[in-house]
Amino acid sequence: MSAILVVLIVMPFVVAVATFFLPVGVSRFLTVACGAATFGLALALIPTAATHSQITAGGQLRADALSVVFLVATTFLYGATAIFAGGYLDLADGAAGARYGRRFYAGLNLFCWSMVAAPLVNGLALLWVAVEITTVVSALLVAIDDTDGATEASWKYVLIASLGLGIALLATIIMYYAGTTVFGSAYDLSYTKLLSGAGRFPPDVVRLSFVLAVLGFGTKMGLVPVHTWLPDAHSEAPTPVSALLSGALLAVSFYAILRYFQIAVRALGPTYPRNVLLIFGLASLLLAALYLLSQRDLKRLLAYSSVEHMGILAIGMSFGAPIAVVGVLLHVLAHAAAKGTAFFGAGSVVRKFATKDMTKIRGGIGALPWSGPMLVAAILALSAMPPFGIFRSEFLIVEGGLSDSRDTITAVLVILVSVAFFGLSWYTTQTMLTPDVTASSSDGTAAVTPARSEVSNWIVVAMALGLVALVILGVHPPAPLSQLLNHAASELGSPR
Amino acid sequence: MLKSVEVVLLGTSVVAPQDVQVLQVMTILGGAPLVSGFVSHVEGRLQGRRGPRILQPYYDLAKLFRKETVVTEESSWVFLAGPVVAFGCYLIVPLLIPVLTTYGLPLGYMGDILGGAFILALAGFAVALAATESGAPYAQLGGSRAMTFGALIEPTILFVVFAVALITRTDLPYALAATVRSSSSEMVRPGHVLAGFAFFLVVLVDTGRIPVETHSGTLEFGMIDEARTLEHSGAPLALLKWGSAMKQLILYTILINVFVAPWGLAASGRPGSVVLAIPSLLGKAMVLGCVFAVIDNLFSKLRLFKITEFIAAAFLLAVLAVLVFYAGGG
Amino acid sequence: MSPAPSTYAGVADVVAVLVLLTEFAMLRAPLLRSQVRLYAFQSLVVTVLAVVIAATRHIDELYVLAVLSFVLKVVLVPGLVLRLLRDADVDLAGSSVLGVPSMIMIAIGVSAFGIFTVGSLHVHSNALPTTALAVAAAVVLVAFVLIILRADVVSQAIGFFSLENGVSVASLVVAAGLPLVVEVAFLFDLLVAVVVFGVIMRVHHGRSQTLSTEDLDRLKG
Repeated sequence: MSAILVVLIVMPFVVAVATFFLPVGVSRFLTVACGAATFGLALALIPTAATHSQITAGGQLRADALSVVFLVATTFLYGATAIFAGGYLDLADGAAGARYGRRFYAGLNLFCWSMVAAPLVNGLALLWVAVEITTVVSALLVAIDDTDGATEASWKYVLIASLGLGIALLATIIMYYAGTTVFGSAYDLSYTKLLSGAGRFPPDVVRLSFVLAVLGFGTKMGLVPVHTWLPDAHSEAPTPVSALLSGALLAVSFYAILRYFQIAVRALGPTYPRNVLLIFGLASLLLAALYLLSQRDLKRLLAYSSVEHMGILAIGMSFGAPIAVVGVLLHVLAHAAAKGTAFFGAGSVVRKFATKDMTKIRGGIGALPWSGPMLVAAILALSAMPPFGIFRSEFLIVEGGLSDSRDTITAVLVILVSVAFFGLSWYTTQTMLTPDVTASSSDGTAAVTPARSEVSNWIVVAMALGLVALVILGVHPPAPLSQLLNHAASELGSPR
Repeated sequence: MLKSVEVVLLGTSVVAPQDVQVLQVMTILGGAPLVSGFVSHVEGRLQGRRGPRILQPYYDLAKLFRKETVVTEESSWVFLAGPVVAFGCYLIVPLLIPVLTTYGLPLGYMGDILGGAFILALAGFAVALAATESGAPYAQLGGSRAMTFGALIEPTILFVVFAVALITRTDLPYALAATVRSSSSEMVRPGHVLAGFAFFLVVLVDTGRIPVETHSGTLEFGMIDEARTLEHSGAPLALLKWGSAMKQLILYTILINVFVAPWGLAASGRPGSVVLAIPSLLGKAMVLGCVFAVIDNLFSKLRLFKITEFIAAAFLLAVLAVLVFYAGGG
Repeated sequence: MSPAPSTYAGVADVVAVLVLLTEFAMLRAPLLRSQVRLYAFQSLVVTVLAVVIAATRHIDELYVLAVLSFVLKVVLVPGLVLRLLRDADVDLAGSSVLGVPSMIMIAIGVSAFGIFTVGSLHVHSNALPTTALAVAAAVVLVAFVLIILRADVVSQAIGFFSLENGVSVASLVVAAGLPLVVEVAFLFDLLVAVVVFGVIMRVHHGRSQTLSTEDLDRLKG
């Protein structure tokens, strides 16, 4: 099992370096192979992680049930995005296109490598380093299109996210200090140590560290009010990068918060950390639901939907019931699949219609025979419709909230999710389910539906994989996975 | 060794505290022109001139007292009373601060640092009022500007006082001087360093030095303090000039004997140490004056509207002194 | 009379306060070049602080860290940014949203908040007095003010780097014994971040021929 961890951390890096030198045609398949392999390896870790307390390799690598959950989400999206990117990239001929392709694939693999590394490293300091690497690599990926919008978005992103991570670094250092009161002045910030000693940490210090960590990593996760970079970066990045940002990067940041949560619960008891997450979660859900009602840009719509789902995750963690925590972890998986699929579909639409402006997109279903309906399905999945995974996860979260007798908050959650559903589905029906508009019936500036054909079969495959995963998660999650989620939820809970 | 010389020269009798107090006032009164003259001399040297004689201010004062006094027809008695009131104020302040002694003198408890600051402010007010009364535009401009910047620098002075009060639990200047002397740690505590530096900037503003004001030559548009005396002549002008020299020495004395170097003061009333404290104070004031002269040469005058930035910097230091004290370091 | 801290503590505190004052000076600096130099000076002060702790508390690892941070933060990073400025041929910083005195007042307010918040925690450290920690928090907050109120990419980037300096001071106070490998990882990350900042600043300047962020307002909603 330790060997798997080492392979997981080495392989994407090697592939990233290789793709920088190889021609794009080879990189395309190499990346897909690497993504699929990491996903397979992550799946292979599930049975062990679900039953054992931890898997370690060389002291610096460590996986437990919690990290494997996030690892599965990330690697799934890695593979799916690699497939999608194969069809999405429309490279110019000649040296410029080849250079773009090399940079894109090297960046993509490096980005995925850092996100795979984040859940696998053992300790808060290395976790911070991994998350910081995700920031710098993804900032370059956001800027790669070299348009005015991309430049602006990447500047906002790198600045705001770096500031957030500066705060997170402060949180790390303060948590280190909390540890020195128990372990003496020289120790590594490994989880095993922190979790074992957390009960004796000074509460005020842990409290400060936790709030700073939520604020800092919350910036990367897109929690309101520190989410401001998110819609810009998601809408201006190349669509494969948007999918990874939304489905995997936000989840990895959430993972970092959960690590602090784990320690804080042991040091402070559950009430304080839960309330902090509740405040951020409610703010995110509220603001995102309102913004979802007034979007014109398809990718921004999906970006605000991400903010909404991050809010749901935070609120879910604030419910004490283990079932809600299981729901949160399932939500991470389902959101990765659904948001990835939705972005793939959006990418297909954007390529087809050559615009992100939803007032100019009409008759999507007619123009895109496969990816059109699948985009609608993905949006429905994001709105928590059965039989998709998010329905099950949100159901568990709501059930947890009710069993925890947090009825008011649960009611608010349900109402806001419904508002968000309204916003999402309104715009989707407007763009996708409207009849075709032909050139003769329009005044030239309005929407024109292009001819009926798929952009690429790669996109269809990637979307189909996402939907299959969503249905599996929604209808009947495999037993080892349920076991993994339960185990991770119990790890997150308080030992008291 | 020193002590034995004192004993030989002056015996072992004790000077009465009241007499020391009078001596403090006399020291400021008599020493102020000397320090001013010395600073101008050094300045001249730094600028490559020979500079005026060190004793020049005394000759100037003597000359002005001999000259007749001209008063504009529009002015009332305030025009003439202003310089006298200000001069009186400058005579009172030395009673309150540690000029020569480490121990408090009877009238020293009459007022604290704030009291001293109020009396100095009253002097400034009297001069500004006299300037306004002259009816001449530049004098009025100077008076109003002086009051404006005086008001702006006031919060800084308050925060310096707060810092001092927090460190010593009292706001008597003697107490801070004693605290600073007590250990080397007191000299490097951030609260003290910051408050001291803030007060240094306050002295720059209050004595009208670069970068706030050029004090030599006439540059009407940039003048603040200097402009106020433009309409005065004869004995009132002498009082004003003497007064501003005294104000400078008073501020130097507070900076030196309270914040920076409260050494060389008389620890007892023995005549020897009291008398030695006079040249020691004047010597330290001259060294400080050299620092100001160097600053004069290094920096250029700020535009009038940039002076607020300078004052903001002083305020920042003073506030940080208080904040850092509360953070536990003092 | 409240007891004075020890001489060592006093000196360390003054050095920490110097870092904060440099941050305030950056807030005021009208020239981008002078801002970068102030950052270099601030980094130098932080390095000196590390050496002082290493010498007095006998933590040899801190010497290595001091050398690395000197090379990186005093030489390399300012050098890179200055080169960018030379290439971009821009001297003046973008006009800030507020005047200098108002900015200073706001910054004083936030540093008061930071100092009181951290001061109320009663953290105890062997390496440095806790005043330095409170001051470090103030540095971080003032860096935020700098980033928010200055409207050009260089000031904002320098603000971020100086924020990192504030965190460095904090880590010297409470985590002087942090394993060297971790500290080096932090520094390496800073280097990577600097390179990425530099790339994006160059791209921005290449596209808009300005370092100002005032035209970065297309994306909203």
